[in-house]
Amino acid sequence: MRIRLDHVTHAYAGSDESAAVQVLGDISLDIASGDFAVLMGASGSGKSTLLNLIGAVDKPTAGRIFLDDSETSLLDDSRLTMLRRRSIGYIFQFFNLIPTLNVFENVAFPLSLANAPRSEVKSRVAEALTSVGLGNRATHYPNELSGGEMQRAAIARAVVHNPPLILADEPTGNLDSKNGEMILDLIRSIHKSRRPTIVMATHSERAAGYGDYVIEVADGRVTPNPRSATPVSPTPETRNPTPAT
Amino acid sequence: MILRALVLRPILREPLRTTLTILGIAVGVAVVVAIALSNQSALRAFSESVDAVAGRANYQIVSDVAFSEDVLRALQPFWPRGVRFAPVIDAEGIVEPSQQPIRLLGVDLLSDLHFRDYRYASVVTSGKESAATYLSLFGNDSVVLPATFAHDHGLHLGSPLILNIHGVRRTMIVRGLLEARGPATAFNGAIVIADIAVVQAAFGLEGRITRIDLIVPDVSLIPAIQRVVPASARLERPSRRNERVEKMLRAFRVNLFALAGVALLVGMFLVYNTVLISILRRGKDVGVLKTLGTSASQVFAAFLIEGLVFGAVGSVAGIALGRGLAWVILRLIGRTINALYVNSTPEAIELTPGIIAAGIAVGTILSLLSAIQPSIEAAQLRPSLLLSGAVWRRQPTRPDQAPASSPHRAQIAVAIVCFVIAVLLSRLPAWNGIAVAGYAAVLFVVAGFSALAALIVTGASRLLRAPYRSAFGIVGELASASIPASLRRTSIASAALSLAIGMMVAVALMVGSFRETVRVWVDQTVSSDLWLRPAKGLSNADSALFPNAISADLAKIPFIAAFDRARGRGVLYNDDRVLLASGDFAVAARFGDLPMIAPGKSSEALGNAIARNGVVVSESFSLKYSKGVGDDIALTTIHGRRSFPITGVYRDYSNDRGVVAMDRGLFIRSFDDDAISTVVIYLKPGIDRDTARRSLESTLGPKYHAFAVTNGEIRGEVMKIFDQTFLITYALLAVAIVVAVLGVINTLAALILERKRELALLRVLGMTVAQVRRMLVLESSVLGLTSTAAGLAMGYVLSWILIYVINKQSFGWTIAFHTPVRLIATSLAVTFVASLIAGLVPSRLARRIDLAMAMKAE
Repeated sequence: MRIRLDHVTHAYAGSDESAAVQVLGDISLDIASGDFAVLMGASGSGKSTLLNLIGAVDKPTAGRIFLDDSETSLLDDSRLTMLRRRSIGYIFQFFNLIPTLNVFENVAFPLSLANAPRSEVKSRVAEALTSVGLGNRATHYPNELSGGEMQRAAIARAVVHNPPLILADEPTGNLDSKNGEMILDLIRSIHKSRRPTIVMATHSERAAGYGDYVIEVADGRVTPNPRSATPVSPTPETRNPTPAT
Repeated sequence: MILRALVLRPILREPLRTTLTILGIAVGVAVVVAIALSNQSALRAFSESVDAVAGRANYQIVSDVAFSEDVLRALQPFWPRGVRFAPVIDAEGIVEPSQQPIRLLGVDLLSDLHFRDYRYASVVTSGKESAATYLSLFGNDSVVLPATFAHDHGLHLGSPLILNIHGVRRTMIVRGLLEARGPATAFNGAIVIADIAVVQAAFGLEGRITRIDLIVPDVSLIPAIQRVVPASARLERPSRRNERVEKMLRAFRVNLFALAGVALLVGMFLVYNTVLISILRRGKDVGVLKTLGTSASQVFAAFLIEGLVFGAVGSVAGIALGRGLAWVILRLIGRTINALYVNSTPEAIELTPGIIAAGIAVGTILSLLSAIQPSIEAAQLRPSLLLSGAVWRRQPTRPDQAPASSPHRAQIAVAIVCFVIAVLLSRLPAWNGIAVAGYAAVLFVVAGFSALAALIVTGASRLLRAPYRSAFGIVGELASASIPASLRRTSIASAALSLAIGMMVAVALMVGSFRETVRVWVDQTVSSDLWLRPAKGLSNADSALFPNAISADLAKIPFIAAFDRARGRGVLYNDDRVLLASGDFAVAARFGDLPMIAPGKSSEALGNAIARNGVVVSESFSLKYSKGVGDDIALTTIHGRRSFPITGVYRDYSNDRGVVAMDRGLFIRSFDDDAISTVVIYLKPGIDRDTARRSLESTLGPKYHAFAVTNGEIRGEVMKIFDQTFLITYALLAVAIVVAVLGVINTLAALILERKRELALLRVLGMTVAQVRRMLVLESSVLGLTSTAAGLAMGYVLSWILIYVINKQSFGWTIAFHTPVRLIATSLAVTFVASLIAGLVPSRLARRIDLAMAMKAE
């Protein structure tokens, strides 16, 4: 799925106009279908907001956002919901599994919303769980899992319906380095095998090395235009931790 | 600062939750205040009437029957010792043709000034300003009326006024009007005053009086006065009448307060839930404050103050609301009190400082009590636990999880202990006529079910998970899983709703059973063809009477096979007012079918009563005084105290004070009263009822002001009075349900606020707003179904206690258990729909969740 942002600005409303806080200013981006882009920046730089705008969770104050040919900033709430349901997979820093559902049910959630046949749900969830190494934890509840396991379950949920776009917001931010690495390997391998567009926000240089290229976010702006960003090697052996210029 | 941070600001920032909680308490307090106000008003009306009529008398010689005025001569020696006395005839009657019940007070207008204040607004005069001015008041047809009564009924000086007193009809002339003070204010002004000699002559009471009012300056004279009191009378303070009425109404009042208590109890659950939810929602803030050095006692005090604020504001609102509600209740219970107990027109509602204080105390104290436990919990938890959010986090329950985990085992144990105590309590006898142990048993049953609430919610959600999944897909599955995940919050809301539903079911079962029992009883007892009555309604039965002369006229009517003349009056037995009824037992034995408890046949009991000068008593009398067939009871007659053997015990639901019935012949011999309140008529075979009715009304109507009613109409009238009596019961329970539904709205609203992030996540993952709202409504349906099921079970248990313990001990009635299926099904459907609507209200909040903000916040 191709992502295009055209002079996007976003501000959080204050008590009056003068109190509004601008988080993103005049951002233009173009991420090609099948790219693994990394949004990198310090805490508070605006990368999560940018991810929310791309993921149709929030709407820009100004400017236009396109996912393929569809301008999301023009879609109404129900179309945005459908877009998120069918085309996007989310991976969060705090895993965000639904506490009242077990692992199987959490992973099956996007398929259930799409009213997929039961047999298909079973096979696809089993496949997704096996791919993240949680085949034996299907009946466990989130509070019975470790952090790494919870994030693997969240990844399985993000990919189970085969979305063309996966958004990951600090996916390793709440994990130790060993688990963090395992998760990044997993995301990388998903990208390799299924070729979705992946946009990952992180403040970790090490994590940034897993992407095709890095888009730096600082003070609500991206520098430079990502199309001229230095691509990094897609293979872990040749990871380039150096931020793109 | 702590208070501002933890309590005041959050209260203001969550107006919906704050309003719902305050409203819940306000409604609970309002019901209690309204019942207290209306009870006070109804009783005050009676006691003020008694006081106004008694005037300055501090003692009275009273009797259930008129007694000879010779006793006045015996009192003469006490005059020099400062004792003042005044003869009185105090009789109930009606004004015709309006059938307005009225009190006739016959007094010695000259000497009575020692006792009562009369201020004449106007009198018929001879035009001369002298003592002779008032002579017209002593004319043999003169009566004096309160000016207000005259105005209301279009009467003025010189107007004729037809009075029917003890079946004697006389046309009197209004010759004086009284200002509204003293006795003119009694019975809401529905009083007629005449000179005692006029009353005696006009209404066949020559030489007899019903009361002597006394002013006794020295109590040491009482024993001497006691010696001159005739055998058929007694010397007592005027306040004794009020005390007897108060006692008579006590069980009825306690029942009303118990019902009001249900609304309040549900309100307590609401406060408990609100404070608990406040603590759950502000757990992290509490953790931060504790980390910064806030002491446990400060945290405890802050949340306790939250309960206090809710209680105080809710109480004040409740008092205002209660005043309005009292007006409605007064109309409802006023009718019941008049129909079943005493004639009294309730006065205006007066919000006394006592009631205001009681309302505020009830609301705030109960709110404080409800807040104590969660406040202690918040105060005692370690800051690290609070900061991590590890406590009270939503905990999923596994569908395959064994229910008997250790907290569940403890809950089951508590419930079993409560149920065992309830069983033991329900076996204890009444205390002072009040089923105290029965009410306590109800509380323990409620406590037992409340202890099981968490288990019931978990179990029901588990059961509902599969059907909800098949019916509503993932939305249904999430909904059924969500309720037990927030068990601490949802189980309390469920317990409150179960309690309200349980009480509603219990009362519906009790009233339904009672109604069915009464219906069967009425069908059996009202077996005659026609009833002939001197008034249309049943409610003024004691006031309107036929003279005995009607008997001769009835005997001449060819189509009548037999007639049974009934007359009832209140008499004292064991210092309680019971109903003494009389009838033609020979006719009743042959034609009627009195439902008997012992012996089996009514003809045997009635025949023995005639043969042995005995009585039959009602079941409530038998139970209340532990008297049965073979025992004797002593009653004060015109001949002094006489003993009567009991020859039968019968079922009666018309009166909870107890009824003693005797044959008409014995009644007239014992009480010198041959008036008739109702004639029960049995027609000869083949006679058409409507033809007979028309004939009776045309023959006896003009002469006796008689109305003939068919047995079907009588049955209808009885059931109508029954339904009116229990209207208040349903009204109070509806209030309890409203409070409980407020609790559910409150809980669900809190859950939504608390789960903003979780709901935002569902939206981010692709759930539509409609799906989220559907899920929330389904969650409330889980609560509704769970509470309905638990309430239904609780209701059956409670109804057993109501029917077989409380009702039996309070009123002495045996009721056959009967399930009013339609009523219960409708009530449950209404409460279930109400719980669904309770889900709709907060589900609107889901639309307002800002996804980006909710996802950002952690």
